[in-house]
Amino acid sequence: MSNGHKLHSIFTLIGLYFRVNLASAMEYRSAFMLQVFGMVLSNGSFVFFWWVAFSQIGARIGGYDFTDVMFIWAVTSSAFGTANILFANMNHISRLIISGELDTFLLQPKSVLTSVLCARTSLSAWGDLLYGFLLIALTQGADGRAWLMFFCGLVIGALLMTAVAVTAHTLTFYVGDASTLAGMSVEFIVNFCIYPKGIYAGWVQVLMATLIPATFMVHLPLQLARQFDLLLFAGLLAASAAYCSLAGFFFYRGLRRYESGNLIVTRL
Amino acid sequence: MPANPQGQVAVPDHKRWGADRGPVLKLGKYLAIAKINLHQAIVYRSNVLGGLLFYALFIFVFFSLWRAIYHGGEVQGYSLRQVVWYLCITELLVFGCRTPVFTQMNEDIKTGALAYQLIRPCHYVAYQFAGAVGRMVFNLVCFGILAVVLGMVMVGPLPDYALTKLPLGILSACLGLVINFFLLMCLGLTAFRLEENGAFYLVYQKLVFMLGMFIPLEFLPGWLQRIARWLPFPYVAWAPARLLVAFSWPLFWQILPLQVFWAAIAIGLSLLLYRQGMRGLQANGG
Amino acid sequence: MNMIEAYDLSKTYRTRVRGEGLAASARAMFRPVYREVLAVQSIDLVVPPGEIVAFIGPNGAGKSTTIKMMTGILRPNSGSIRVLGLDPVRERSNLSYHIGTVFGQKSQLWFHLPPTDSFTLLGRIYDVAPGVLKKRIAMLTERFELGALLDVPVRKMSLGQRIRCEVAASLLHEPEILFLDEPTIGLDVVVKQAIRELIRDLNQEKGTTIFLTSHDAGDVEHVCRRAIVIDHGRIVLDQPVKKLKYDYLNRKIIAVRFTEKHDLKTLPGIEVQKTGGLGSRLLVDTRIRPIGEVMSWLVGSGAVADITVEDPPMEEIIATIFSSQDEGGA
Repeated sequence: MSNGHKLHSIFTLIGLYFRVNLASAMEYRSAFMLQVFGMVLSNGSFVFFWWVAFSQIGARIGGYDFTDVMFIWAVTSSAFGTANILFANMNHISRLIISGELDTFLLQPKSVLTSVLCARTSLSAWGDLLYGFLLIALTQGADGRAWLMFFCGLVIGALLMTAVAVTAHTLTFYVGDASTLAGMSVEFIVNFCIYPKGIYAGWVQVLMATLIPATFMVHLPLQLARQFDLLLFAGLLAASAAYCSLAGFFFYRGLRRYESGNLIVTRL
Repeated sequence: MPANPQGQVAVPDHKRWGADRGPVLKLGKYLAIAKINLHQAIVYRSNVLGGLLFYALFIFVFFSLWRAIYHGGEVQGYSLRQVVWYLCITELLVFGCRTPVFTQMNEDIKTGALAYQLIRPCHYVAYQFAGAVGRMVFNLVCFGILAVVLGMVMVGPLPDYALTKLPLGILSACLGLVINFFLLMCLGLTAFRLEENGAFYLVYQKLVFMLGMFIPLEFLPGWLQRIARWLPFPYVAWAPARLLVAFSWPLFWQILPLQVFWAAIAIGLSLLLYRQGMRGLQANGG
Repeated sequence: MNMIEAYDLSKTYRTRVRGEGLAASARAMFRPVYREVLAVQSIDLVVPPGEIVAFIGPNGAGKSTTIKMMTGILRPNSGSIRVLGLDPVRERSNLSYHIGTVFGQKSQLWFHLPPTDSFTLLGRIYDVAPGVLKKRIAMLTERFELGALLDVPVRKMSLGQRIRCEVAASLLHEPEILFLDEPTIGLDVVVKQAIRELIRDLNQEKGTTIFLTSHDAGDVEHVCRRAIVIDHGRIVLDQPVKKLKYDYLNRKIIAVRFTEKHDLKTLPGIEVQKTGGLGSRLLVDTRIRPIGEVMSWLVGSGAVADITVEDPPMEEIIATIFSSQDEGGA
């Protein structure tokens, strides 16, 4: 099969899972409404916080103004939403490895990692996705470059978030249950995405460009939205592709050690 | 009549001990409940690690943020040191000492597990509270130590801190925890009548966050401050944190009665909701 | 005085009817629609002290509703009920000091802690003086052979060990009545028998009145002196177990497999329900043909590879009761 075909089949697979997941999720409408409500509320309370911070204290915080902060917020929210709509199972990989449930996916003739990631969706994630659009529309107006970079950030952010989660969960192949670590890694990423980069000391900024790639997910897209630079943009794309490939490489490397639930069943 | 080896019929003796014990032993009963919860929390101490890490992350992020915002001096009467300590305290009270009472109530009511509590000679609301106290003691110690360590490392001790006022601040913190617990219990008890009450919890949580946990009440615009002071939410986190980082007697006498007032309202309302709900449960089953 | 007296006891539930769709659920929030369900209908029941009563019936027959009314959890719609002379609902907390309960499905032990901790806590809740509690724990530990279990977290116990601890926990305050709801559910035969013996001994030694519900004909046969059968909220049978045993618990199911192909001739009292290949399923009427006799007959008629003897399921027994009552009534 050619590479183009392979990619096409992966996209078809993602689309298929997406439709099935959505249909089954609609069975729980009231829970869905509640989750969306909670998400709007929780994100709204952060906007409130920033509004107070900027209106009471200063026009720029860590080099960002209010619209900048709203931009990174929007990207983070939509990227998180996209990742959890399409790849919600990324939060459960460790469990699948430990309980031997990867078997089901290994038996299927499609890409294992794609099938694993797509086998579940999160409903409240729709709220996160839409919320980002809303924020961009309200705070960036008709700024075309901001919209464009918002979309780039959304895609890159969703992929990198997934890549980091997959990498962290892959550790389960080697050291036993890494689900807490993986959960924390996503929390960390989100946290370093939603505050101005400039508030952090140098060593934290190094972390943000390596282990916790928040810089690539939101901060560089913001920089590009404000002042476009083709070279920087190309670098961003290359770095993102590298992260994703590395995550895939780690996963398949780890998968060789998969023993169908026989390996890590030592009582904790 | 079937044989009874003692040759006597077991007749309930109402005056036998148990039926009408004094309040002192009753307190002992709830102390025992608190103790077993504390014990369980200690056995499962590794559960707290993730929370501690998250707490540290949160404090670090906000410390960075406040440091960037402050360029020396004060904002609304808070120095940078004070505002970081303030945050350490509010997070300790709201996040570190969070209780699952809302979900617990919801589950107990919806699954009918509440009924099994009824066959014990103890009050369900008090039982829950005693259990929460036991768990909170453990969390207070773990998160409290971390809070002090983080505060010391990041900004150092508050200058001229009046240690003698510390107990008063702690008293206010305890009241804040009581208000929080019983308000959440009230919300949980609405499950007797409402199928979907999750929205209440979310709204409540966010109100506590915004009216005192993230930022001192004084930072809010004036009109909002005036409204907030009439609501119970700032008395969960803002009041104790404010008293702990910048104590003043006038403020103390302003805050404490209000905390007592809200605590009484919350406790009274939960008892009322519980009684009403129980009546419904006994009539209609679980 | 009787331990339990109930006259003309009835209970109707209102259950909320849930509509389809968002609009219906929104409407239901403000004006819920209810449907009435008759759970228990006009039950009369008297239990004297020291009795061991089996309360049996299929799922949804009204067993746990009745227990819940006796323990004060549910308020009856009509009729009167007195447990130890007390009104269970009005004097619930007073009554709770005198009754013990074991619900097979709902543990009263702390899952992550050793039972000692739960015992101490329950002792405090029931206001048992520390000195007395210590003695009782020691006594129950010996009687229930819990010595090795006292310091093991409950989650690490087998179901049988856990149930033993559950029963012990419900006896710490020396209740006059012990309610057991499906105490042997999910246990293997040996453990079941041990629990049954414990319950019987408890009744013999302390005179504790026992009220147990069960699905298991064996529980009834081996533990109880009196059986009450409930179905669709009504009592359909209330008689000594001896008589029940003679009338209805007289059948055994034997599954037998031979090593080679074999033709079984039937005898009076043995009905071949199913036969195929090397195995057969027989229904034996033990009044006509005792089990021992059947066994030697089977062994005599060929090389037996495997043999199991079982009680017929409770549902079948109840069906038999119904059919015989219909005959009697007709």
